[in-house]
Amino acid sequence: MAESVCRSLRDGALEGELAPTLTIKDSLASPFGFNVFSHILVQLSSQIVAGKSQSQGMVIVALSRSPSSYIDLLKMNGVDVESSKKWIHILDCYTDPLGWKDKTRKSGDITDPSNQILSSYKTVKDVNRLFSVICDLGRGLVGGSKSRFCVAIDSLSELLRHSSVQSVASLLSNLRSHEQISCIFGLLHSDLHEERAVAAVEYTSSMVASVDPFHHSVDGQGSNLGNSSRQNLTKGKFNVRSKRRNGRVRVTCEEFRVEPSGISFAPVSSVDGAAVAVAGLIPKVQFNLQLSEKERVDRSRVVLPFEHQGTGKPIQIYDGRRSLEDSNNEATPISGGKKEDSGRGEIIYYRDSDDEMPDSDEDPDDDLDI
Amino acid sequence: MATTGTRVSSFSPNLSSVKSSQHPGLKNGPNGTTFISSGISDLDKILGGGFTLGSLVMIMEDAEAPHHMLLLRNFMSQGLLHRQPLLYSSPSKDPRGFLGTLPSPGSSKDDIAREPSHEKDLRIAWQYKKYFGEPQLNINSNNGGQHDYCNDLDLRKPLERHFFTSNNVNCVSIQNSPNLDVLKDRCAEFLAQFSRNEGGSSSAGRIAIQSFCSPQCKYSDMEWHMLSFIRSLKGMARSSNVVIVVTFPPSLLSPSCSKRLQHMADTLLSVRAIPDEDKELAKLLTGYQDMVGLLNVHKVARLNTQVPVILEATTFSIKLQKRRYLVFECLNQAPVDGSGGSSYGNSDGCSRSTKAGSLDF
Repeated sequence: MAESVCRSLRDGALEGELAPTLTIKDSLASPFGFNVFSHILVQLSSQIVAGKSQSQGMVIVALSRSPSSYIDLLKMNGVDVESSKKWIHILDCYTDPLGWKDKTRKSGDITDPSNQILSSYKTVKDVNRLFSVICDLGRGLVGGSKSRFCVAIDSLSELLRHSSVQSVASLLSNLRSHEQISCIFGLLHSDLHEERAVAAVEYTSSMVASVDPFHHSVDGQGSNLGNSSRQNLTKGKFNVRSKRRNGRVRVTCEEFRVEPSGISFAPVSSVDGAAVAVAGLIPKVQFNLQLSEKERVDRSRVVLPFEHQGTGKPIQIYDGRRSLEDSNNEATPISGGKKEDSGRGEIIYYRDSDDEMPDSDEDPDDDLDI
Repeated sequence: MATTGTRVSSFSPNLSSVKSSQHPGLKNGPNGTTFISSGISDLDKILGGGFTLGSLVMIMEDAEAPHHMLLLRNFMSQGLLHRQPLLYSSPSKDPRGFLGTLPSPGSSKDDIAREPSHEKDLRIAWQYKKYFGEPQLNINSNNGGQHDYCNDLDLRKPLERHFFTSNNVNCVSIQNSPNLDVLKDRCAEFLAQFSRNEGGSSSAGRIAIQSFCSPQCKYSDMEWHMLSFIRSLKGMARSSNVVIVVTFPPSLLSPSCSKRLQHMADTLLSVRAIPDEDKELAKLLTGYQDMVGLLNVHKVARLNTQVPVILEATTFSIKLQKRRYLVFECLNQAPVDGSGGSSYGNSDGCSRSTKAGSLDF
């Protein structure tokens, strides 16, 4: 639930424990990850300003959007950015992440000294330095050793683009084990990376929120995408998996709807949405006496040997023996070539005597027509 | 004149040969092997005695649950209680900090009361196995030295410092090493103390490697390097009196590397998370409220023999009794239609009950 996610971020980390880390995962099928991210950003910011959260400051690592857009976002939602007590700092890794402007223009740092909130960062590839800069900025915001700050990473996908999975994972785990960090949340576009990279980020986080479309289209992307774009343009499912302290995983599912003013969450309306795959966890030990739908259909299709098959003619059921006409038909080729006979390996039944009634060895059930 | 006194025969059954008299931490096993305790008495029972000396135990982690830490804690703590030297490596900056979370033996006042929860309604038919378990427990506790071999470790009570401030605990951090050579050298150094060639098998050692291919390690994409490290570790372990426990998260490796690592293990366990407040699972299993996870036993080490171990059940529930003691229990499943899904479908493909255990009516 989005509420419980915000609550756990607000409550932050206990002494001696790793900080709660949220990864918001989205994909092209439902690209609303940033809406969720900004929702959480606004919620947490207002709680920081009101003094209700464990963290007293926030450091935003802005990689995919300009810092001014965050300031506008916060202002639009009524969060006081320029308050007297400095609580937010945005690390600008968007304008010039690799320091190219410095190389071309040969001018110094273009940080605006009057702007207290921004500072630019030009070496995104150096993740270790990024870690120390984040820590320094955070410490600058909240001061002493007992107070904590939180970190928002705009796009982990951008970080993964610039550096390896190992360095991003070590950055996250270093941030998590830093004693002054209260919580961390970041956005990840899952279809931009290999599965292992996404798995590594999920491994290091304590909550994974995935933004999914209503119906996962496995096949026929063309028609399904067309349908989804017409109907579910602004809606989708918000699935959260949070790792609890006792080792269990809390799985929740909600519906979300994107509106111009923001994003809203509602409990799942349809019942068929939440099908938990429990069967995979425990071994299937019972044998099933019920028939599933498919099995019922197949069973009705089975043709039984004595059921209505004939079209009015007497039923001829092959029972291993040959009727008189067949053996007569075979008579000519058999007498002709012995070699072929031995090759085919048939059993030819010649009546012992002519006394036998011609119909005595017929199965009386032969002409059953049920 | 018939003597009515007792005849002392020169042939007397040597009952004490079952337990080793050399050291409380060791137990003689079949085929000339020796067992050391895993720290969890249920796991020792499942594995037929404990971890075999000279074997490599691998525990597959679940990315969503920290249960492998519970197993590691019990393993390490049991070794320290028996004064068995320990080498511990983890991807954190300060592995020694973990030693503060090791459990201590529980006080004798709270015994683990294993009374099965008495369901008043008529569901006894499919739970009868629980009641059969009782006599076996008595036999085990009559064995002298059972308590010494495996202690009931209380996870809430930290181990006294004097157990690990002495020289017998070495910690290695693999966070910043670019490759595994440092760890390999430390392991080789450690294993040299316990080489079997020198005769005396009185001392045993333990190595615990936690989260071996965790993504923050720099070598975590060097799969062949990691595989050759484990292979050489296994080779070194075979000729020493040591048990090596390695935990790794298989979801972070490529499927072929993960499979290779699983095949290299002598004993292979996996832990899995269970969903919280899941009504389906609560209906399916009794005792769901106390369960924290699932344990699967995929392979049990068999050294010096070709006869494999076939377990009655391979999936167990992990419970924390009184929130302190780690307990593994067989799953008691309600007889519902197991319809839909692939039978025995499992991500690992190895976990299944034998047919005998399946008819739990």
